[in-house]
Amino acid sequence: MLTYVARRFAELVFVLVAVLILAFAASRLMPGDPIGAMLSDRSGDAALEQRLRAEYGLDAPVLQQFWIYVRGVARGEFGLSYRFVGVPVVEVLGDSLKISPLLALSALTLAVPLGVAAGALAALRHNRWTDTSVMAVMIAGISVPNFASAAFLVYLLAIRLGALPVAGWGTLQQTVLPVIVLALQPTAYIARLARTFMLEVLAQDYIRTARAKGMRERIVILRHALPNILVPLLTTIGIIFGTLLTSTFVVETIFNIPGLGRQAIQAIFARDYPVTIAVILLFTFFYAGINLLVDLLYGVIDPRIRLEARR
Amino acid sequence: MGWITRNTGLAVGLGLLCAAGAPADAKSLRLNITADPSQMDPITESELIAGDIIRNMYEDLAGIDKDGKIIPVLATEWQAMDGGKTWRFKLRQGVKFHTGREMKAADVKRSFEALLTPALKPGASQVYLKDVVGAQDMLDGKATALAGVKVVDDTTVDITFNKPDVLFPIYPVRIFDADVLSHGADWFLKESAGTGPFQFVDWKRGSEVRVKAFPGYWGGAPKIDEVVFLVVPNIETSLSLYETKGLDLVEVPPSGTRAVLKDPRYENQTLRVPAAQINYLGMNQNLYAPFKDKRVREAINLAIDRDGFVKGILGGAGLPLYGSITPGVAGYAPVPKIPYDPERAKQLLAEAGFPGGKGLPPIDIQATAVQKDDLAAFADQFKKVLGMDVNVKVVERATHIKQMNAGEVAFFPWGWTADYPDALYFLSQLWDSRSPYNRVRWKNADYDKLIDQAQGEPNAEARYKIYAQAEKIILDDVGMAPLYIRTQIWLKQPNVKNVYLTPFRMLPYAKVEME
Repeated sequence: MLTYVARRFAELVFVLVAVLILAFAASRLMPGDPIGAMLSDRSGDAALEQRLRAEYGLDAPVLQQFWIYVRGVARGEFGLSYRFVGVPVVEVLGDSLKISPLLALSALTLAVPLGVAAGALAALRHNRWTDTSVMAVMIAGISVPNFASAAFLVYLLAIRLGALPVAGWGTLQQTVLPVIVLALQPTAYIARLARTFMLEVLAQDYIRTARAKGMRERIVILRHALPNILVPLLTTIGIIFGTLLTSTFVVETIFNIPGLGRQAIQAIFARDYPVTIAVILLFTFFYAGINLLVDLLYGVIDPRIRLEARR
Repeated sequence: MGWITRNTGLAVGLGLLCAAGAPADAKSLRLNITADPSQMDPITESELIAGDIIRNMYEDLAGIDKDGKIIPVLATEWQAMDGGKTWRFKLRQGVKFHTGREMKAADVKRSFEALLTPALKPGASQVYLKDVVGAQDMLDGKATALAGVKVVDDTTVDITFNKPDVLFPIYPVRIFDADVLSHGADWFLKESAGTGPFQFVDWKRGSEVRVKAFPGYWGGAPKIDEVVFLVVPNIETSLSLYETKGLDLVEVPPSGTRAVLKDPRYENQTLRVPAAQINYLGMNQNLYAPFKDKRVREAINLAIDRDGFVKGILGGAGLPLYGSITPGVAGYAPVPKIPYDPERAKQLLAEAGFPGGKGLPPIDIQATAVQKDDLAAFADQFKKVLGMDVNVKVVERATHIKQMNAGEVAFFPWGWTADYPDALYFLSQLWDSRSPYNRVRWKNADYDKLIDQAQGEPNAEARYKIYAQAEKIILDDVGMAPLYIRTQIWLKQPNVKNVYLTPFRMLPYAKVEME
């Protein structure tokens, strides 16, 4: 098991390094130039450009810039922002670092039990009206893009009813709408998967055996069926988390939340490379990290994986 | 049902208010900014959003009133001496800095010196001091004091220039208490050092900038307690916040004007003022041979349906432009309307040897992604009216500007916003052949001579006459085609009073009252 964990960690580091190289290369290949963006209408003053380029270390050969950057990252420094004069990237990101993963995790915490419950309910009432109506709602949930559901919920709950704040960050009330909006699609997705898995499990011999032994239906479902659908569901959690992280770009913009997604957009527009690269690395880290965690949990839940890893 | 919803809403709303812990009697003016400011101090200040905030904390020697007229601010009077080569300023007495110290003539000198100290990374205002005697020595590191600024007494200061600079009094250069520089590069986060109606409180990056009333303001303490600039990049979100009274003022960006102008609810809550920005169509004669023929340029000028463009592309948030100066800028005078005349345009093009556009080589019309629709409209219009083949070319912003400034773009629509309230800003920077921002590379010796003459003419009325002559030269030669002026659109809650939108954006919120 330990070598398995070590191997997975090595893979994580490899992914991060690969992404670092790609992000750095992309930042230098992208059309546009941070000095140009800074000077805007005034660009073209060669002496001023030269001075600024030197100040930001952009006059060195690209490989040397890369080396300087990597050395900084190894020390835990991500350089200075181009947009905010002299401010370290870490300081620019500040609290936003926590906000996006927190949002994604909250949405996930909401989506998993809800989705599993809805899916299981539909499966148990297979082909009856409960099944059909639950699934109809879930398909709607998947199909409606989050910016549309956000607009609808803001209009209804915030503007018409005044029950919740329209936007912002800092109070508990302000987190309700964004988390609901974020959770809608994953809930629907999980419900559909849970239904399919549940139907499959319910057709298994061991369920029939359990029922034949005269076990109460509640025990059959909760003890024998449910745990077995959790294993395949767990695999998808990593992917869902990734989708959630990307959705924060949209949701943070709509609800005006100062998270990483919104920071990324501001940074990209301003050609603030150091901030952009740091955000990309962080997203990669969160995404790869949760997948690693899922794989490890998978091993804990499913003994077969543990055995395989031992071999 | 109605009352149930209303009352529940109210109850929950009250609950939230208590939860947020907002003191109910604090009067704060809340407005949107579309991104964080890039700087927050008067030295490095370089861009629009930073300027919108900093203007409330730091003041210049002169300013404008709500009608755009130049008024004394930190200086009470100024006088040109030595044919405009020296300016003498009398400073306002009893002006206090936020730091508590009284402003003296020496502070003008020290503020200027800070802007000329490369180590402090000075921003956009530095350029206005370039012609002060001794400025170059400071920039080169050869001097630490500015020789051209002489402190006569506590309230009098003389500023001498290498060549006459008659507009110097209206340049936006902030005066501040330079004592704070001892706090290090991020002094502006620790201390507020201006003389303005508001003083710095806090900048939560990504969320808001907060400034509070300065009780010792020379113009009288503001009647509101604070101004909060909320970072809201998305206009839909701003409108929702406005709708629920979460914002008192909303600056509506071009992408949102259509929705706002169409909505009857907003009709009595909009402020509309044309911006001090000209938009023109550049035709670079060095890069596209047919542009060398004045008849071709004129044909293009007459083929533009300005009214249609304002209505269709700008959603009504603009005015057609026929000259090179916008109304509300000192020196503006009305110029004859340029008609939309497809027949005359066709005829001129035929006379130039391109009947129905035959024989014209294809050309790219270039700008940034934001202007995609504008480009398509122009390309379509010129094809329809002149039979000209125009390809739309979208280029990344910084690249586009760089190419224009290098004189490498043949055909482009672009704008130019005045930084100070005088028409010379447009005339000298855009069409003078010696200016790096003459992106069309139009060249006329008489025009350049008039600009020199204007720059040395301290009498305003005499100077405005020169402007009119110069403007006529470029318009008669169709050195470019004027397009439109954008209208700035703001939303304002009915309970907010004394907010003044000028061609140069919002005046400081010094006189705002909220009921």
